[in-house]
Amino acid sequence: MRVPLSWLREYVRVDADAQEIADALSISTAEVHGVQRVGVDGELRLFRVGHVLEAAKHPDADRLQLTSVDVGEDRPYSIVCGAWNFGAGAKVAVALPGATLPNGLTLERRKLRGQVSEGMILAEDELDLGVDHSGIIVLDDGLEAGTPLADVLPLVDEVLDLDPTGNRPDLFAVYGVAREVAALLGGELLPLPGKEPQRDGDEPVGIGIEDPEGCLRFIGRAFREASIGESPPWLKARLRHSGVRAISNVVDVTNYVMLALGSPLHAYDLDLLRGGLVARRAREGEKVRTLDGVERTLSAEDLVIADGERAVGLAGIMGGEETEVSSSTTNVLLEAANFEPIGILRSSERHALRTEGSNRWEKGVDPHVAGPAATYATQLIVELTGARWTGAEDVQGELPQPTVVTLRPERTNALIGLAVAEEEQAEILARIGFERLKKGFRVPTWRARDVTREVDLIEEVARFKLPEIPFTLPRREAMFGRLTREQRLRRRVEDALVGAGYSEVYTPTFVAEGDLRLPEPLSAEAAALRVVLYDSLLEPARRNADAGADDVALFEVARVYRDAGGDLPEERWHVAGIADGGFAEAKWAVEQVYSALGVEPGYERASQPFLHPGKAARTGEGWLGELHPALLDGVWGVFELDLDALARTAPQVVGFAPVSPYPYVRQDLAFVVDEETTAADLLAAIREAAGELLRELEVFDEYRGEQIGEGKRSLAFRLAFGSLEGTLTDEDVAPIRASIVDALASRFDAVLRG
Amino acid sequence: MDTVARVNPDDLEKEALAAAAEARSLAALSEVRIRHLGRNSALKLALRGVRDRETGMTLNAVRETVEAALAAREEELARAELEERLATERVDVTLPAELLGPPRLRARGSLHPSTLVRRDVEDIFLGLGYEIVDGREVETTRYNFDALGFPDWHPARSPRASLFLNDKTVLRTETSPAQIHKMEERRPPIYMVSIGRVYRRDTIDATHFPIFHQFEGLAIDTDITLADLKGTLRHVMRQLYGDEREVRFRTHYFPFTEPSMEPDVSCFNCGGAGCHICKHSGWIEMGGSGMVDPYLYEFVGWGPEEYTGFAFGMGIERTAQLRYGIAGLRPFWENDLRFLRQFR
Repeated sequence: MRVPLSWLREYVRVDADAQEIADALSISTAEVHGVQRVGVDGELRLFRVGHVLEAAKHPDADRLQLTSVDVGEDRPYSIVCGAWNFGAGAKVAVALPGATLPNGLTLERRKLRGQVSEGMILAEDELDLGVDHSGIIVLDDGLEAGTPLADVLPLVDEVLDLDPTGNRPDLFAVYGVAREVAALLGGELLPLPGKEPQRDGDEPVGIGIEDPEGCLRFIGRAFREASIGESPPWLKARLRHSGVRAISNVVDVTNYVMLALGSPLHAYDLDLLRGGLVARRAREGEKVRTLDGVERTLSAEDLVIADGERAVGLAGIMGGEETEVSSSTTNVLLEAANFEPIGILRSSERHALRTEGSNRWEKGVDPHVAGPAATYATQLIVELTGARWTGAEDVQGELPQPTVVTLRPERTNALIGLAVAEEEQAEILARIGFERLKKGFRVPTWRARDVTREVDLIEEVARFKLPEIPFTLPRREAMFGRLTREQRLRRRVEDALVGAGYSEVYTPTFVAEGDLRLPEPLSAEAAALRVVLYDSLLEPARRNADAGADDVALFEVARVYRDAGGDLPEERWHVAGIADGGFAEAKWAVEQVYSALGVEPGYERASQPFLHPGKAARTGEGWLGELHPALLDGVWGVFELDLDALARTAPQVVGFAPVSPYPYVRQDLAFVVDEETTAADLLAAIREAAGELLRELEVFDEYRGEQIGEGKRSLAFRLAFGSLEGTLTDEDVAPIRASIVDALASRFDAVLRG
Repeated sequence: MDTVARVNPDDLEKEALAAAAEARSLAALSEVRIRHLGRNSALKLALRGVRDRETGMTLNAVRETVEAALAAREEELARAELEERLATERVDVTLPAELLGPPRLRARGSLHPSTLVRRDVEDIFLGLGYEIVDGREVETTRYNFDALGFPDWHPARSPRASLFLNDKTVLRTETSPAQIHKMEERRPPIYMVSIGRVYRRDTIDATHFPIFHQFEGLAIDTDITLADLKGTLRHVMRQLYGDEREVRFRTHYFPFTEPSMEPDVSCFNCGGAGCHICKHSGWIEMGGSGMVDPYLYEFVGWGPEEYTGFAFGMGIERTAQLRYGIAGLRPFWENDLRFLRQFR
């Protein structure tokens, strides 16, 4: 909502500049995104009313006039002008040498085709008052030469760019903003603009409401002998600064009054209507061509304004082309109505058509404003078009009556944390139209939708006191400040992977295929919720490799989604990673994750279609392997683990064994075994055979070679034995060693290497 | 001419396809190609001798079919040979990584900037004695909209704005549903922050992405005030943006809070004097907040005045943008290591 300050000041007397007004509104009413200065940016005294004393063709240029203009100085000024829509005697807008126009041009005294020109006679576009450049502005004859132009035309203005929230339809009106400004800054709010002129006739208008739910009120007024033309400069300037295009005096009046009071209006060419107007539901498939030239096919849910034969407009959204007011119009029918918001919103969405009107209706316009809007528009139409007002009808159902809401002042204070005296609360509410009654406060009709409960009244008080409310902290009697176990473990996993050289990525939830599909996908590649994470990492891995990174290692911690048969999918936290370099990379990362969680995983050979068949393994909580080379160029290790499962496996408390004070006996043993015998098998067998004196065990070497033979390999283990009771000797350990060798020989045909 | 007459295109095709299917190796397939599509193959000879258009078209169709069959078979064989080769490259998956590689020694990796912010936010609220809640991402419309006071006609309920799985299921559009679940789970005191992914149907551009991350706080107790909200958010903003920051509140409107406010933080870049970061206003918008609407208490079956509370919500990406000076949203999802590795 663009609010020209000059307009605002017509409705509120307040001692505050634009920035002060903007700041106050921003804090307590609605955000002001900025204050824009429009119009002339130079010295205003160089803009004057001029009286054209003489005007004749330029002696050396067919298209130019040479004029002599009284600008209130002791001599007439000679000005060359390109327009011909005036002659001697006209009062015009003049800019003298030295004046800077809104477009930045500074005028100079100079010669034009041999004749001196001392300034410029101005067209409206040159003053940023409109877009017309077909002729200069001709001012009222009664004006005196030399009068400052700023007294006559809105040469400079400041425009507030206000962004009201959806609950404040009253702020989509200059008068509504004025009401807030008066309340916020202690100004005086002037009465609503508009005074009913004398009615000159009593012709029937023929207004009807067939759908009282969609249309609460319908005022129709008839005008005869309107002379349709351009609006005066002040009106065009107001519209322009408000961001609305000027069209013709009648249409401009409807827009002007909408901007002023917030209730949209529409004008019809009375002679093009066949019978009176009625607000009704459209017939399925009925058509209307709206003002934008689009033929719209209507549904029974659309509310239309129709004459005796056809729909002549999409109610509240846009009028029809066939009955629009044009330059040939002489008789006018004015509509000031009130439409129900949700229907308008739906129609506006259905037809993908948003207008200044629909934007207001969909927020809920006060039906009581339709009257003042009709009055003000009537006054302006009569004044600006010279029309006679010849007929008036006001059809209304039962308009909602103001409600009364009670307010306990102590409740306000308890909720906002600031003591505001009862009288002050009442005074704040009174300033914005809430009348204090015995039982409570009467809600003004323009706030009826938003304010229905005590807490809504409290908000009204609170917004006026916002800056005064102190900064405190809740008084606590209970605390919960810690992460859940799952959250702590998740952090540990992330940190472990970062330590292992992995960088965290965020990839989208959406993939091409998954258990849960979006009925309306974002795209073919984003049509379902993912069931695995690793797949999403291939693309970033490829891109980083393509960009020249030679050490790509990525991981992601996020959720996957599976249809578990219930109403809602099962969501599980996973971690997945990818790194250049093959199986060992994946294994290293997975080892880091498990060790960070204090879990000793078991690895088993596994097969997955997306993994290298010889380099793939599974653990209890996921899998790891070398990515199948058909999927991505290069050699990549990948893994994915279910973090929720991991959290269940991870020990709740750290278990530890007492440390022996006596030195350990350390021994290395190497066995030759078949290729198929895994290190894990051997480790388990050694541990079992060794018994409780075995303190440490690891595999530290793998060897293949001619001495060992085809299909065989040697695995070397490092063992440490110790006792809490005393120092062990080699003799103590010898039988343990023997039973290990026996066990491995009998179970795996393992041969101890000498 | 004679040769052409003797050739039956159907037979040529059948023979070639059979030969391709029978080839057991890429080498064998290469021989099949020479025999059936080579310079001296019956097909090529016949094509060279063609005089009429119709025969030409028939023979060319045969050539195309055979070529396609050969290409398909070649891929099949290549894949099979690859699988065979891979099958011989077996490792003992139970060996430690050190013996399998060894793995590369890598420089330390990095956490995503959004994770860094997330952790900071979590830690700040942990310090204030809040619990951190992840919440579900797929929600019922009851928790995502009804409970939060979104009227039936609200645009957010439209498939144009939100991502639905069906009429009743939607990807959460804010993290607030987790708050309702907590309220249903237990009575106050409740001090919680829900953090995570949220979803809107946005067309991807420099500043829009259909997925982003929020953190939303909720405090409900017996006498929480708007002053407590102001104090809490000022503390949080000072933790995030520096101890000198001032916080102001502007009135606003949200469906599930009353009164509602937007907090602004004095610009950390210019200190309030005005610069490009604060759009010359001296203040930076941070999100939304307000006092819990009594509607919510009734929704979960509590009395409307048993408790009071406040709620607020902010964006993780936006916080990261401000803290690190990241422009737009693309860097958050491009996953470019040259970007990510700077956040160590």
